[in-house]
Parts: sequence; C-alpha cells; structure tokens
Amino acid sequence: MQLLCNSCRVFLLMASTASKLYSDDVSLVVVLLDTNPFFWAIAKNSNNSNPNLSFSKFLNHVLPFLNSILLLNQINQVVVIATGVNSCGYIYDSSSSPPASAAKSENGNMPGIFSRVIQKLEEFVIKDQQLSKDESVVGNPSSLLSGSLSLALCYIQRVFRSGPLHPHPRVPIDSCVVGAQHSAFLQQASYITGGVYIKPQHLDGLFQYLTMVFATDLQSRSFLQLPRPVGVDFRASYVPHS
Amino acid sequence: MPQVKIIAKNFMDMVAALPAMKLDKLYENTFICEAVLRSLPPLAKKYVLQMLYLVGPITAKSMEEWVLADGLSKHRGAIDRLLQLRVFLEATDRKKETSYKLNPKFQDSLQKYLVYGGAVPTEPMPSIITGRLPTLDSLEAYALEQWECFLLQLISSGQPERPSSIGSSMLKVFQRGLLSSRESEAPKLTESGFQFLLMDTNAQLWYIIREYISTSQDRGVDPADLISFLLEFSFHSLGEAYNLNTLSEVQRNAIKDLADLGLVKLQQGRKESWFIPTKLATNLSVSLSDTSSRKQGFVVVETNFRMYAYSSSKLHCEILRLFSRIEYQLPNLIVAAITKESLYNAFENGITAEQIISFLQQNAHPRVAEKTPSVPENVSDQIRLWETDRNRVEMIPSHLYEDFPSKDVFEAASDFAREIGGLLWEDSKKMRLIVRGESHQDMRDFLRRQK
Repeated sequence: MQLLCNSCRVFLLMASTASKLYSDDVSLVVVLLDTNPFFWAIAKNSNNSNPNLSFSKFLNHVLPFLNSILLLNQINQVVVIATGVNSCGYIYDSSSSPPASAAKSENGNMPGIFSRVIQKLEEFVIKDQQLSKDESVVGNPSSLLSGSLSLALCYIQRVFRSGPLHPHPRVPIDSCVVGAQHSAFLQQASYITGGVYIKPQHLDGLFQYLTMVFATDLQSRSFLQLPRPVGVDFRASYVPHS
Repeated sequence: MPQVKIIAKNFMDMVAALPAMKLDKLYENTFICEAVLRSLPPLAKKYVLQMLYLVGPITAKSMEEWVLADGLSKHRGAIDRLLQLRVFLEATDRKKETSYKLNPKFQDSLQKYLVYGGAVPTEPMPSIITGRLPTLDSLEAYALEQWECFLLQLISSGQPERPSSIGSSMLKVFQRGLLSSRESEAPKLTESGFQFLLMDTNAQLWYIIREYISTSQDRGVDPADLISFLLEFSFHSLGEAYNLNTLSEVQRNAIKDLADLGLVKLQQGRKESWFIPTKLATNLSVSLSDTSSRKQGFVVVETNFRMYAYSSSKLHCEILRLFSRIEYQLPNLIVAAITKESLYNAFENGITAEQIISFLQQNAHPRVAEKTPSVPENVSDQIRLWETDRNRVEMIPSHLYEDFPSKDVFEAASDFAREIGGLLWEDSKKMRLIVRGESHQDMRDFLRRQK
C-alpha cells in the first residue's frame, strides 16, 4: 500500500497488500491532494523557475496517474482524499465506484473517473471555503495535512483488518512537492516511512515523474533505482505514523 | 515410463505465439492491451508505464541503469517477456547498440486507457428487458453443476450410455489429447486425460481453453479472433446480462461452447437473448495472472490409508476411484481405501504419485488442512515407494567404450567422462567404460585429441 502525498504539493501514501492470496504487486494507493486555495493561487502566479501550474493543469497530470495505477492490476485500489484549509474528506474510492461506463458522464466527453473526481473536488472546496468564512484569516493558512494523513492511515488500517490475514502494513509515504519551497514535514514523513520525496524540476512532465516513481509497487522498489533524499530538514515537526 | 505432463500453459504464451501481424492487430483493442499488460511481471508493467509517453527508442544500456544490481535478472526476464509479446520492439543501430521502444499500437491503446479509464466492453442489458436475473449464489451453483457434468462426461466417456449434452466442438477438444478414440473401440481416457482430472479447476479450465483455441482453425475460426474475444470476455462483470445479438457469428458460437462448460448462462427473453458470465468466467481473467482460487477441501486421509471424503458429488467419487478403492458411500460421505492395487491401477493409467499426493493436499478438509503435513507422511511416502517399485529399471541411452590402447588413455578418458558428468560405469581391469549417450560426441572429440 502506498500513500501518495500530493502537497504543495502532491502527497502519496502507498501500501501493498502483502496478502499471499494475490500476486505480489497489488497496491492500495491513497492519494492526498492539497486543495489549499491560497497555495494554488501562489503556485499559479509565481514567476520562479516553474511558473503557472494551476490546479486544473495539475489535475491533468494526476488523474491519468490514478488510471495508470488501476491499469496495472485488476485488484489495485485508489483512494483520493482532499486536504483543505479547514477540513479533509474522501473524494474517490475505486473499490466502491461503479464501473466507468455505468456512470457515463453527463457533461459531454469527460471520462467517468475524471468527472466524478472533479465534481467531488468542487463540492469539497466550496464547503471548505464556507467553513473558513466564520473566522478571520490571517496570512496564508496551512493545509490540514496531518488530518488527511490520519484519515488515510485509518483507511489503510481498516482495509487490512477486514482482510483475511491481518498483516501489519508497511506504509511508505511518498511525497511530491510542486510548490516553491521544500516541505520539511513531508521530507521527514517520507524519510521515516521509507517513502520517496521528490520536488520535480520540470512541472510540465509531472505525469512522467508520478509514473516513474510513485507507480512502482513496493515489491519492485527493492530492484529499481529511485530518487534518494538529498537532504532532510529535521527541524521539529510531527508526523503521525502507524 | 514416459513422462506425459500437461503443462497448463499460460494464456499469454498463446498470445505471444501469434504471428506478428495478427498480434499488432490485436493491440488495437484496448482490452487486450489491458489484459496483456496485467499479465506481465511487475517490473515489465513498470517499464511500459514509464515509456508510455516517450517517442523515441531507449537504449538497452540506459534501461539497465534503472535497476539496482540485484534486480538485473528480473530486469532481463521483464525485457524478454516484453519482447516475446511484441510490447517492446527491438532495434539495433549502426553502432550495434540495442534499443527498445513500445509497440506503437500498444502505446496508442494504453494512452487512450489512461485518459478514458477502464470501461466495460459492452453495456449490460437493462433489467426492464431481462427481468430478474439469477442471484450470484444460484449462478455459482449452476456453473459448478455444469462444470461437474462436463468432467463426469469425460470420466464416463468410456461407458456406452452417454448423455450428449456437450456440443460437438467441445467434444472435439477432448478428443484431442484427453480421449483416445479409435474407430472400433469406445473412447477411452488417455494418460493426459487422467492427469487432467486431478488438476485444480483453474488449470483444467486453462487446458480446455487452450485446446479450444488451438483447434479453432479446424472449425474455420481464426485463433486471433477467438483469443481477442476471450480476452475481452474476461472483462465482463459477473452476474450481469449481456446481449447476444450484438455479437458476431464467431463470438456467438464461442459463447454457446462456453455455456457448455458453465462459464456463461444463456437465457432467452421474449425478443432478446442474453448471456450471464458466471464465477468460472471471472476465474478466466484471474488465471491470466496465474492466481488460483481455493475451493474448500473435503478429503481426510488417515495414517491407516483410509480416506474419508465429505462430498455427495458423483464427480468426486469418480475422481477418487481413479486411485483408491471406494468402500462405501453415505449420503454425504465417501469412504475409500488407498491400496497397492488401486495405486497400481492409477500408475498404469499414467497418473504419477506426485499428482495424487498434491491432489490430496490441495483438497484436504479444512480440519486437516491446518496441520502440516495435511496428508500423513507414512501414506505419502508409501505412495511414492509403490511408484518407484514399478520403476526399478531405468533406461539411459549410452555408449560402451573398450579396447583402449593403454591404461593412461583409459584413465584420462574415464576422468574426462566423470568431469562432464556422463560416466555411468567403469571397469578399470578390463578397461571398459559406459558413458551417457548425450556425452558421446564430447567423448569422441576427446579421444581423437588423445591420439
């Protein structure tokens, strides 16, 4: 199982179902998307080396990536969790969604999973925004990353408990950071859990980064060259781990 | 004894064996690409994904840099498989450097998949037309019954009264290999037929499907069409109704044959007719990746060679009869004894001790399945011993060498033979040697050099 953490960010959590019933490359990937509007506004307008990655462009890379995970194995599972400023919530779960054709998208040619994810994301962002109206916001509020991480870990625990063999999952947290700054929190999270932390140089090829690194099942990780941490910022921050 | 082994070959090996042109044509179909991709080893899947959006070829050398040192053998395996299935195309440039690129058709189909997601090949029919469909349980019961009926037919084919519910093309599949039918005699199970009965359901299914495909040409059906249909078929969802009328002639015939095996249930409405895939059909797609689903076992073997089988199935009874003596049968219990005579009977039919033991292990009753070993050691050892009893004499083609000119030449020759692992017997007094047949050429070369 894997947790892909898409934060400023892509943030990925992965755990491979080590159950002997299946062939060895089954993955449950929980993707945490950072929907923090303050962050995305900066990312869109920033004029540094990687300008103009709007949230929608970002989704253009992430959604095919979700499909590619589902493509790799018929029992692979993808869960998407949105991380907002005031709340977090489940957006998509491939195990409980009807097959793509059954839910043919109403809005023209948009394929099944895409329209569902986008619609739920919109709902989520609006709700998240309403929550923040009550309080006066000072500066750039940060996203509730630890909240959604906990959600993801709970979900993974539940999947394993309901399984036949109750193995203790190894859940590496992979992080893909697309913002201007590194995230010490995610560096540490990936470091502690044995996941991969990257901050792509060329955001136009984000999809390639995602599939190269994060679509690797845990079994194959021991055979492949993956990006290693260049340096981890060990300044105090708390990472919940299972 | 000749070793006849049915290798339940992977479906994808059949795909790989197709001519390049046909294979490339198949890759225009997204479902086939999806199925092929999923059948690949994990590392190979990864490579496909990685190269999906690359335009130019990648050199073999730079690909090797993707893996760590201990992954090299897996890497080679993955590349070999990709080349076999023509997912990767190999090219050698002027500097003799090998490079690979994705098959453009395959690449195209998968790129589409990533954008549009996995869909089902055809829409299931709305329930207004089909009315209420059978429940999953009753569907499974139907599939099992049909499958058992089919196997029973195989066993009882030696007997004259034979209910011919199985279509002729499926029967032909048996006749190739599993049944020997000479004109004058009633059809008899062949050696592979007996071995077939002891395989687990998935392996059996694969054997049948494989034979079904390889005999397709005799029926005037292009194997590529059949393979593509079967691959697509495995993406239909369990228990849903699909319209028969949208299928082509070839596909409709295939569905009818599959219905004989219990892979689909055919139903007829007022105007339309449709088919419903059963659990066996979904097994078809699972075995694409060689995972077998376990059924609940039913056999308990005691240390006194008694066997208790908790089953009311006639098929189980017949299978046990292949290698044991049935003593009596109660409504839900078959009591049998494994005896020397019953085993000799089995060995005569070409069943091996290992097959019997693995059948007993695979079908062990849950109560004994927890124990290790699930079959008592004295019983499994005795089964093996009785088998080796029959094989006291082993025949090895070999050559005798004599009349060596000197002791030195003889000793050098015998040392050489030992070195290459071909020495079977030597007599240093009379200076004679017996060496395995396959080493003869080496020996000759060696002796010639001695002169």
